[in-house]
Amino acid sequence: MLVAVVVAHPAADSYCRALAGRAVTGLRAGGHEVVVLDLYADGFAPAMTTAERHAYHGDTPILDDQVAEHADVIRRAEALVFVYPTWWSGLPAVLKGWLERVLVPGVAFGFDDAGKVQPGLGHVRRIVGISTYGSPRSYVRLVNDNGRRILTRALRMSCSWRTRCRWLGLYAIDTSTSDERNAFAARVEREMADLR
Amino acid sequence: MTRALVVSCHPQEGSLVAAARQRVVAGLETGGAEVRLTDLYAVGFEPAFTVDEHAHHLRPGADPSLAGHVADLQWCDTLVLVYPTWWSGQPAMLKGWIDRVWVNGVAWELPDGAHRLHPRLRNVRRLVAVTTHGSSKLVNGLEGEAGKRTVTRSLRTMCHPLARTSWIALYGVDTSTPRQRRAFLDRVERRLHRLA
Repeated sequence: MLVAVVVAHPAADSYCRALAGRAVTGLRAGGHEVVVLDLYADGFAPAMTTAERHAYHGDTPILDDQVAEHADVIRRAEALVFVYPTWWSGLPAVLKGWLERVLVPGVAFGFDDAGKVQPGLGHVRRIVGISTYGSPRSYVRLVNDNGRRILTRALRMSCSWRTRCRWLGLYAIDTSTSDERNAFAARVEREMADLR
Repeated sequence: MTRALVVSCHPQEGSLVAAARQRVVAGLETGGAEVRLTDLYAVGFEPAFTVDEHAHHLRPGADPSLAGHVADLQWCDTLVLVYPTWWSGQPAMLKGWIDRVWVNGVAWELPDGAHRLHPRLRNVRRLVAVTTHGSSKLVNGLEGEAGKRTVTRSLRTMCHPLARTSWIALYGVDTSTPRQRRAFLDRVERRLHRLA
């Protein structure tokens, strides 16, 4: 299947970007077609502009060529894989802005006559989150996992009832050992190779 | 005297959120508070956490270009966030303000040997969110209220231990009537007047 891998980390030599590389390796080994959308490398601008906000409920909510390219990928993708560091329990601003600017009406959802939201990503069969956390897993699960909630609940609501979610987190990264990080990277590659 | 910092975020003047921002300031001022206002779109805030900031993120202090934002945050005893909820969270513009301003040495610190972050914004005793949701309260509940949890849990942990939070929200904006929107704005001004 066609898999869009959306990556959001500022540093090219970061562990997070390395994880994205391992995910792509795994997906290709599994026979999938992969398109990488590396938001920092591509200089993606996070903030929805005033002009985009004005156009949001019109016929052409997308005004930017780069956003249009990303939207074309998402319209065809059967799986969405997100790779990012969790900051303030949520998505980095760049990734949050990507949701706001790319997943607009006509791409991710539409409005019916009563103004209610109708899902538009029925073709997406899998949502995968791969994220690193500063906090330990128990704390994250107990107190807040807001990035995960946005992707596996809010975004999933725009998909199909059959869409399945998979979450791979490396917790307490600041105190993790290199063995743990290597094992997690290997797990990411393995799970992505097995993605169906 | 109450010292209130209002951080607002909406790309469009004339929007409901822009009106709410005016009513927030009016309520606070008639209540006797000293108010500082940061309108992130008006000042052209850059929301993306940069490569350089990431390289120095273990060193205390925000980027020097953000000194004004840091001073305002450390000055206030009441912080009011005014924004539309998009994809069940803060818009990228506001998330970026959190990512870049609430950094090591400003919002938190990690003393040698400590196992968890220590809060540094003990000056903040009241945290207020004024927000609008396109969809209903039920849908937002199913989606997990990630934005609400980011304010009332994640941000709150870095404020005064007894800091109180207020959630002032209008759900179902997409299908709301002019009367409901007027009532919301009145409620915003009344609540902020009382809090001042």
